[in-house]
Amino acid sequence: MARTHITAVVNGDETEFLAEDGTSLLNALRDEVGLTGAKEGCGTGDCGSCSVMIDDKVTTSCLVFAPEANGATILTVEGLADSGQLHPLQQCFLEGAALQCGICTPGFLIAAKALLDKNPDPTETEIRYALAGNLCRCTGYDKIIRAVQEAAREMRGQ
Amino acid sequence: MAVGKTPHRVDAFDKVTGAAAYAADCVPDNALHAVVVFTNQPHARLVGVNFEETLDAPGVVAVVTAADVPVNEYGLTLFDQPVFIGLDDTGRSSVPCDVSRWEADHLAVVVAESLIQARKGASLIRSEWEVLSLVSDAVEAQSDEILVHPNSTSNTYHELRIRKGDIAEGLQSADVVIEGTYQLPHQEHAYLQVEAATAWVDEERRVTIETGGQWVHEDQEQIAHALDVAPEEVRVKYAAIGGAFGGKEDMSLQIVMAVTAKKLTNLGITRPVHCNWNREESIVGHHKRHRATVHARLGATADGIITAVEADVLLDAGAYNYTSNKVLGNLHLSVAGAYNVPNARIDSKAIYTHSVPGGAFRGFGGPQGTFVAESQMNKLASELGIDPLEIRRRNALTDLSDGITQAGLPLGVGVHRVLETCAERAPVDAPLIETLPFKSIASLPAATDQLRQGRGYAVGMKNVGFSFGFPEACEADVVFHGDIDAERPTRIELFHSAAEVGQGVHTALIQMVAEAADIDISNVDATYSDTATGGDSGSASASRLTFMAGNSVLGAVEEAEKSWADGARPALGHFRYKPPATEALDPDTGVGQPNFCYGYMAQALDLTVDIGTGHIRVDRVLSIHDVGKAIHPQMLRGQIEGAIAQAHGYALSEQLIVKDGRVLNPRLSQYLIPGIGDVPAKVECLILEGTDPLGPWGARGVSEMPYITYAPAVTAALHDATGVWMNTFPLTPSVVLEHLTAAKN
Ligand code: FES
Ligand code: FES
Repeated sequence: MARTHITAVVNGDETEFLAEDGTSLLNALRDEVGLTGAKEGCGTGDCGSCSVMIDDKVTTSCLVFAPEANGATILTVEGLADSGQLHPLQQCFLEGAALQCGICTPGFLIAAKALLDKNPDPTETEIRYALAGNLCRCTGYDKIIRAVQEAAREMRGQ
Repeated sequence: MAVGKTPHRVDAFDKVTGAAAYAADCVPDNALHAVVVFTNQPHARLVGVNFEETLDAPGVVAVVTAADVPVNEYGLTLFDQPVFIGLDDTGRSSVPCDVSRWEADHLAVVVAESLIQARKGASLIRSEWEVLSLVSDAVEAQSDEILVHPNSTSNTYHELRIRKGDIAEGLQSADVVIEGTYQLPHQEHAYLQVEAATAWVDEERRVTIETGGQWVHEDQEQIAHALDVAPEEVRVKYAAIGGAFGGKEDMSLQIVMAVTAKKLTNLGITRPVHCNWNREESIVGHHKRHRATVHARLGATADGIITAVEADVLLDAGAYNYTSNKVLGNLHLSVAGAYNVPNARIDSKAIYTHSVPGGAFRGFGGPQGTFVAESQMNKLASELGIDPLEIRRRNALTDLSDGITQAGLPLGVGVHRVLETCAERAPVDAPLIETLPFKSIASLPAATDQLRQGRGYAVGMKNVGFSFGFPEACEADVVFHGDIDAERPTRIELFHSAAEVGQGVHTALIQMVAEAADIDISNVDATYSDTATGGDSGSASASRLTFMAGNSVLGAVEEAEKSWADGARPALGHFRYKPPATEALDPDTGVGQPNFCYGYMAQALDLTVDIGTGHIRVDRVLSIHDVGKAIHPQMLRGQIEGAIAQAHGYALSEQLIVKDGRVLNPRLSQYLIPGIGDVPAKVECLILEGTDPLGPWGARGVSEMPYITYAPAVTAALHDATGVWMNTFPLTPSVVLEHLTAAKN
């Protein structure tokens, strides 16, 4: 089977990997790059647990062919913390217990980061809209919303 | 003090950094890849099968079949399911295995160098089937014209009866009788981490499985039974678990992957083998919350005192039992509600059909039974014009009640407490919550003239722990470390098998060890969920772990304290906690003590419905729980909020389509679990702390309780808003419109 050589900046590092034809970016990240933070909850674009940022846009990586990411800048949950220092979103999810089984958490963190990058002071409705592509079967979402609000406050220095 | 505080979850750091490794993440570099091949036949006899092309396909290493399973049968409470359908089994199983009774029965496991090669190999299996007639509906199956299991005489394979007082007299003395037939739907667990497992034979020659389940020791026992080896020759350990909700209590990959690892070893291949279902395989391949039909009658006097309860329950067990016999028991008890019932006749049946098996799912029969009981109660209140909380108060169970099984109730009955709190916080005459007008279609303005608001109530109870005489127990081991002359240990190790499915039990256990031994939580380390290191904890189910594991920890710490005082360093403590014994119910009358503990809850729910489109928005839920003691209040609220979101899907949107034995919508784009914009706008949790006489620090379980009352509270609120009762759900817009239109005509 043909394999494509891909070069991308993943979590700040220039990264090269091979992907077989038809491989999703999600599977390439998990199997070739060894980053298993993004999860496959459905493989059909419905759950958001595979969310990563590609060139600053939140994307369901199960629906992207790996070669499409050639030359792109990719951020996964593993790249959120800054040399051991948790991102405020991570800290607020941790403190607010905005996770239970945690399988959806990487996707929510990425989607929330994408939101706060653009809108540092979102309303609750804006948060719900931004996270509407992410499913969670455990939490009921309330603690996730509170955690995003809290992180936004912190990041605004309030 | 650690209990009652909210330390950070012990698993949170790994979960927010992506470091937490779930079963799908644990793929060793040298792993082979496996695909489980389903028969895709809801009812057919296998007449020929050929694996030659598969075995010749590039990359394929092995094909595992019925011939590789020494004892080709399994089942959590009855051995009624073959591990593989095949023509060449070893003949040592009590279940005929040449007939497929479910589309997801297993035909083979194909092992290859890559997943793509395994899938390709699987597609090359040639199988020939004689298609047999189906009976896919429980009502039809009762005639026994087609038997699902020909070696039993009837599809109706498990029956329970309650005979209490004099039902004829009870109905006769009633001033009003409420009668209804209720259709309860299937529900899919939809945990976001689908089934995955890695298997290998370890250095000690144990067949080892790393997966995510709910009870390592039960997995171990089921595997050992099929492999016909001693349990010690099997090791099961859990990776991080991405949700379970009852859906991982039964076997999915455990046995087939163990058989596969064993076969590979016999072939001289020592590499681990990994399998990861996709979403479609997961939805097709595991059991569901049962669908059921219940016909019920409720008799009462003009002032609302219950005189009689009558019910006929038909539970569609699907093709195999799983835990249907136990779920039936819970449903059976819960149709009577949390009320004093002097006269009762309840007949409940579990029936085999050629359909997806029903099994454990948060609430375990309670949501179905409570929907019936509370719908009947709400109708009674409405019929008699009595405040729905007041009528419940007149009938509520107390410590002095004999209960529907005529054996008394475990002390600490909390029905009145949750009712009174509900009446204080959300009385019937309190105005409905004010919210912005509901826009059922986001891009259009709200159709304010079509919006109706209403409030509904429901009350319930749910057992904590295993019921009906099951030998309930939970083990814990602790090790106290410290110098010989030290007064107190400086570090404690805990070994426990409790499965962390997301509920937070690993954090709660650390808190409870710290509290029991009076040590800081930072000095407690734990090893979890590995049959090689921990004793049998029982399952992460039945809202039992806080109660059971808490008591096991208390005992183990006490044992370690003794040996510490005797000078042992390290000082070991082992304890096996056993709660008061329960009983199977008398087969003719249903008399017996089925449970040792219950949790109690009440909910008040406000909603808005657009009667033009049938869309519903739940505006506010007040969820009141008598939990005994909140060990970790923040996680406890998380359990309540999460249960409500799942129950919201059950009541409003989750519609599994099962036709002729096949699931027709096995995708998350077709089976709609609630998203962040769908869940109730506002959830208020009210936690009441009594103390349970048996619970550790007085705690009871809570994980299932908020689920159970939700659907009947929704239909009551919908009635309040529209004057129409719904005897079925999910209340999708089209179902709501259909009911509203039918009522108008
Ligand atoms: S795995 Fe990509 S959206 Fe679900
Ligand atoms: S925490 Fe389990 S799916 Fe969100």
